[in-house]
Amino acid sequence: MKRIYVACGSGVATSQTVASKISSMCEDEGLDVAIEAVDIKSLENIIDQCDIYVSIVSNEANIFDKPTVSGIPFLTGIGMDDEWEKLKSFIEL
Amino acid sequence: MMASLLHEELVLLNYQADNAEILLKELATILHQQGYVKDSYIQAILDREKEFPTGLNTPGVKLAMPHAAPKHVYKEAILVAKLAQPVVFKEMGNSGKNVEASLIFMLAVQDPKNHLDALSKLMSIFSQKEKLLEVYNTVDKKRLIEKLNTVLN
Repeated sequence: MKRIYVACGSGVATSQTVASKISSMCEDEGLDVAIEAVDIKSLENIIDQCDIYVSIVSNEANIFDKPTVSGIPFLTGIGMDDEWEKLKSFIEL
Repeated sequence: MMASLLHEELVLLNYQADNAEILLKELATILHQQGYVKDSYIQAILDREKEFPTGLNTPGVKLAMPHAAPKHVYKEAILVAKLAQPVVFKEMGNSGKNVEASLIFMLAVQDPKNHLDALSKLMSIFSQKEKLLEVYNTVDKKRLIEKLNTVLN
């Protein structure tokens, strides 16, 4: 099972929604994942516990040595297919 | 239920503001005056927007979805503001890019679990150009709330 973290500024709206969306997309394809929404401040302490990171923030403090995809396309729909393929490839690693 | 998150006094049409900071301050103040948030919410919104901008270059109508931490919120609600002219926000997650936002959804969230469904549905229309345009082009507050409610319930 792959553990995926989604992080945004406050962990209340954006990351929850993106996590929820990715979760149902994974479910539709029968992918074995555990998805959690976290706020960016807590992330640093727990980043090692995840396999894949979905980022909704992009700045220098947000680069981790983890397979990363962008979460914003899951919100706007723009470029979502590409990020979804990327995410799937990480899940299937 | 989504229906209780939208209120006529929190739907603003043809709202005029010179820039994002003034706009955010005014909108947050409305939420505070109506009793939905603490006054700490106002500064929290400004701080948060600076650190983690909420502009989205969505198809059809560009928007922003400012929000702050639950500890500043008394009662959950969504304030909807249609802007008379676009205001520049920074794009979420993409440091630097500008978003000329015409539609603002200011969120007062206390417990995301309560409204995850509603929030997800709200954000699901962000990727739907026609829905966004439909909401944006509604000139009557009641109709706008009705439209959003059908989308969101």
